[in-house]
Amino acid sequence: MVAVESTARPRAWAVVTGQELRDLWLGGRGLLLSLAFSGLLSVLSYLVATNQALNFLEQGESVNLTLQVAIAVGAMLALLAGADAISGERERGSLESLLLTPVSRLELTAGKLLAALSLWIAAFIVTIPYVWFLGRGIGIVGDALATGALVGTLLAIFLVSLGVLVSIFAGSNRVSLSVSLFVLLALFAPTQFPTNAQQGWAGDLFLRANPLTAGEHYVGKIVVDGHPWSQDASWLVSPIVAAALFAVLAAAAGARFMRLSGNVSG
Amino acid sequence: MIRRRLVVSASAVFVGLALAGPAVSGSNRIAVTVDRTAISTSLGHEFSVQSRITNNGGSAASSLVAHLNVLSLRPDVYLDPEDWSSHRTRYLRTIPAGGSVAITWRMQAVNAGSIAVFVAVLPQNGEPRPPATGPTVHVSIARRTTLNSGGILPLALGIPALLAALSVGLRLRRRASD
Repeated sequence: MVAVESTARPRAWAVVTGQELRDLWLGGRGLLLSLAFSGLLSVLSYLVATNQALNFLEQGESVNLTLQVAIAVGAMLALLAGADAISGERERGSLESLLLTPVSRLELTAGKLLAALSLWIAAFIVTIPYVWFLGRGIGIVGDALATGALVGTLLAIFLVSLGVLVSIFAGSNRVSLSVSLFVLLALFAPTQFPTNAQQGWAGDLFLRANPLTAGEHYVGKIVVDGHPWSQDASWLVSPIVAAALFAVLAAAAGARFMRLSGNVSG
Repeated sequence: MIRRRLVVSASAVFVGLALAGPAVSGSNRIAVTVDRTAISTSLGHEFSVQSRITNNGGSAASSLVAHLNVLSLRPDVYLDPEDWSSHRTRYLRTIPAGGSVAITWRMQAVNAGSIAVFVAVLPQNGEPRPPATGPTVHVSIARRTTLNSGGILPLALGIPALLAALSVGLRLRRRASD
C-alpha cells in the first residue's frame, strides 16, 4: 500500500516510487525474488562450467546462455511485479485509499511502473558476477553486460508496462498474473520453434516482430558472433517500439481506467 | 549458435566447390586450389582458407556453385558443418577462359580433433558428373578447456548466501523494530 504526503513535493510520482520501493525491498519480497533468481543463475553457471554435456559450448555461448536466461527471468520478475501493481492493491483493499491521495492516477501508474522495474535492475546487478566469471579472458564481458543491460531494460520496460496494463483491467490478482504469464509464455514460444521454421522471410519477420526473440537474437549476435553493435541494430526496433508503446499505453490506461473494480474478473 | 542436429550424416560434410553450368563441358576444365593444406589451431578459434577456382577451358564457365565441406576424420567426433561456417555455399560469377575466382572461407573450430576441409565446385544445373574438388586441407584442432570451472563453486554458493544473509538481516531488523 502507498501512503503519500498531502503536499506533493517532491514530485508525486517520485514519492509513489519511493514508497513502492520501500514496500518491495524493505518488505523483503524483492530480496527473496532476487535470492531465487541468484539460485537459478548459480545452478545454470555451475552446470555450464562443469557439466560435460554442456561444456561443449564455446565460452561465448556459455556467456550468451547465462545472459539470455538472466534477461528472460529478470524481465519476468518485473512483469510479475507489474501484474500485481494495481490488481494487488485492489485485492488487498488498499486501492481506495490510494486513489484518495492527492496524486494523479498517471503519477500512481508511473511510480508503480518504476518501482517494478527495480526488480530487473537488481536481477541485472546479480547477473554481473556470473557473466564476468564465465566470460573472463576472452574480452566479451564488457560487450555482454552492456548489451544485456540495453536489451534487458527494453524488455523489462515492455513487460512491466504489459503487466501494469493487464493489472489495471483485471478483476483479480489471479486473472492479472495468469494473463500476464500466458502472454509471456506465448512470446517465448517462438524460441522453441525448429530452426527451419525460423528461416525464410516469414520466420525472420516473426522473430523480428516479437520483442523477446528479437532482443535475444541481438544479444546472441553481439556476444557469440562478435558483431559490432550497429550491424544488427535493426533487431532492436521491436524491443524499442514495444517498450515505448506499452509504457505509453500503461500510463494512458492508468490515468483513464484505474478503477476500484477491475473490468475483467476471474 | 551451435545447433546440434541429428541429421548430421546428410551434411556429410562434404565441402566442395562444384562446377555447374551449360558452358562447362568437363570438370577437368575447372581447377580448385587452396592456399595451404595444413592448419593447426585451437578449439574455439577462427581460421580461414583461401581457395582459387580457375577455368582452364577455352570458353567461359558460368553457373558454377562452390561449396565448402567440413568433416571429421575420426569416427568418434560429431561434427555439424553449419556450426563451422554459416556461409558454405557460393554462387560464382562467370569465369572467363583462363580466368579465376578467389574465395575466402572463414570458419570457427567448433570440435577438437582431426578435421578435413575441402572445396567442391559443381554445375548449377545439377548435371550428373563429378564435381571439381580441391585438395584436402587437414585441420588439427587442439582441445582446450572451453571454460575454467575453478572458482565457480564459491561464486555459485556465495551470491545466494549473500542475498540470503541480507534477507535474514532485514527480517531480524524488522522484528527488532516492531
